[in-house]
Amino acid sequence: MSNFHPKKTIVWIQGITCNGDSHSFFNYSSMKSFANNFEIIYHPLLLTDYNLEEILTSRDKYDYLIIEGSFTKVRDYVDRCGYSFEELVENLSKRVDYIICAGTCASFGGIFRERDKINITGGLFSGDKEGGYWSKNKKVINIPGCPIHPRWLVDTLLILKDEKKLLLDEFLRPKEVFSYFVHHGCLRNEYFEWKIDTKNFGEKEGCLFYEQGCRGPMTHANCNKILWNEVSSKTRAGSPCLGCTEPDFPRTSVYETKTRMSLPAVPYGISKRAYYTVTGVAKSFRVDRLEQKLIEEKR
Amino acid sequence: MITPRVCGICSHSHVNATILAIEDCYKNLGIDLKLTNKAKYIRELVLNAEKIQNHIKWFYFLILPELFKINKAKFAQTEAFKDKEWFEAQNALSSILKMGAIFSGQWPHGSYAMSGGVTCDPLESDILNAKNYLFEVKEFCEERLYGCSIDEFLELDNIFDLIDGNSTLDLAVTFMKESGFDKIGKSYDRFISFGDHKGVNEPVKALKTRLFKTDIKFVEESLKNSFFDSSEKGFTYSKSAVYKDKFYEVGPLARLMISKDPMIRDCHRRCTDSVITRIIARVKEIAMLLKRSENILENIDIGEKSLTAPKYMPKDISSQGVGVVEAARGTLIHKIWVEEGKIVKFDIIPPTVWNLGNGTPLNPAIAQKAIIGLSSIEEADFVFKSFDICSVCTTQ
Ligand code: SF4
Repeated sequence: MSNFHPKKTIVWIQGITCNGDSHSFFNYSSMKSFANNFEIIYHPLLLTDYNLEEILTSRDKYDYLIIEGSFTKVRDYVDRCGYSFEELVENLSKRVDYIICAGTCASFGGIFRERDKINITGGLFSGDKEGGYWSKNKKVINIPGCPIHPRWLVDTLLILKDEKKLLLDEFLRPKEVFSYFVHHGCLRNEYFEWKIDTKNFGEKEGCLFYEQGCRGPMTHANCNKILWNEVSSKTRAGSPCLGCTEPDFPRTSVYETKTRMSLPAVPYGISKRAYYTVTGVAKSFRVDRLEQKLIEEKR
Repeated sequence: MITPRVCGICSHSHVNATILAIEDCYKNLGIDLKLTNKAKYIRELVLNAEKIQNHIKWFYFLILPELFKINKAKFAQTEAFKDKEWFEAQNALSSILKMGAIFSGQWPHGSYAMSGGVTCDPLESDILNAKNYLFEVKEFCEERLYGCSIDEFLELDNIFDLIDGNSTLDLAVTFMKESGFDKIGKSYDRFISFGDHKGVNEPVKALKTRLFKTDIKFVEESLKNSFFDSSEKGFTYSKSAVYKDKFYEVGPLARLMISKDPMIRDCHRRCTDSVITRIIARVKEIAMLLKRSENILENIDIGEKSLTAPKYMPKDISSQGVGVVEAARGTLIHKIWVEEGKIVKFDIIPPTVWNLGNGTPLNPAIAQKAIIGLSSIEEADFVFKSFDICSVCTTQ
């Protein structure tokens, strides 16, 4: 294997997690290229050359620390081979150039934060509030997603490695991924424009916004641009976006779009006046083509 | 939405178990949701993709690296992030998940099933695409793992017949036999399975090779020997699942013993419930699941409805229900209690609490029993890995 550039090193550790981000990463489709650029020094689910003990007692510097799972300082919540999560983080965070909070749990606290909102947080945020495990840490990059998309992670690592510009938004998310909305590229967009809801789950036709509570128009992520597992996405498979990359995930009311006196919530960054006006106009027309099945069977 | 996040490697098994539990709630009120074959097929297919992925990952990410530790020269072709065959295996597991994701939108953490069916509405071209991914994985398994066609492999009733040094499975089996792995990792030789799997769609337990009908109502989750905080006794987060106070092994070995699979029964006759039988059973299940998925893809009628919507919304019902799924590592049970549409109680019994329950020195649990008397930590570690004890599902 060609090896012109020295490989960058990665140490991967876990807080409170379901392992979903690791398993999502294992789906990465250009793994040979990944392996040509990076070396995983330690990963809890892989048999690596070094064990955790050896990593923690070494004085080596590493390039990237990837943290998966919610952060906590409570020892009883996480115990990794006799070390608390805090011991892992304190030990390793000083010896790396960048800290990547992989997944919504590591970024904002995620689903595990629901259990104890004080002691279970993200790295730099607790939900959408600043201040999580750290109050400040300049090395942190957040890549939320429940789970993370393998490309969001590896693309970010490659941009850092090549010393290209990595722009981050206010939640420290890479803009290349999180300037898009899940709504962008959804095959149901035309139904959204004309406010035609899907009649039921299990159909290609109709938008999932009103009845099914799709969060696509408010959720930052390029799911419908790069697709999942390279083939599909939630909305393409007929299930609504759950907003899993946002700091307020998990929301309590899923599968319904909040209607205020029968006015629905509005897409991100669009004024209520503009949105309701357009909605009213769109709804006043009937578009026959969109009321029909996409593929009509004529015998 | 929450339940797939119980576990990142079995997320779709959890989705299925929850939806089955909710459908059972309807059934207990006398409401039959009448799923179409299409919906049932798609659910099974998505689940099969997850299981095949699990099995391949376990064999290539856990078992082979352990063998590599013991004999570097023999297993050098499978080193993680370095060798060709490991990359091929990684490609195979991501391809089979592509097959699944065509129907589930993504893996992990899709939410593709709803009461009454599934959310996707595939075209013929989606089915064809799925077949292509399946073909790729089949080819990998035939060329690397089995060294013969899936059909030939499934015909075999003696695994030791296959051995001609051609395939990775051969290599592993021969090496494990030479290393005496047919003598270690034995447990009670008691198996149980509650969900649907090949040829068996009712709860059955097996004491060695004899089968008995069982009833899920005798399953209990015991906290007897679990300690949730560090105390002097040492601590563990694991609960135990018992059937009439006894521990049973769940998983591929249990399923294949119960469905009287000739190859596994033969292997069991020679090596009983040792690690070698357990490992062969799990690798064999890959071939069975591939074959089954191929059949499903041939038979899906996309003209049927994906979802038959329940007439009553969940928010109007009070009921209780149980959902059972045969996940990669064994029986997974979700129990749910609903009052006026609100879930008031939810209980999950994942496979690992069957295999890794906590016993006592006099009455050890499945995996505990299997490691008693071993000569080294390494051996014990290997036996644990043969069960693929999953720490994530244990702690929920
Ligand atoms: S289903 Fe969701 S993402 Fe797709 S068009 Fe409708 S609102 Fe947008």
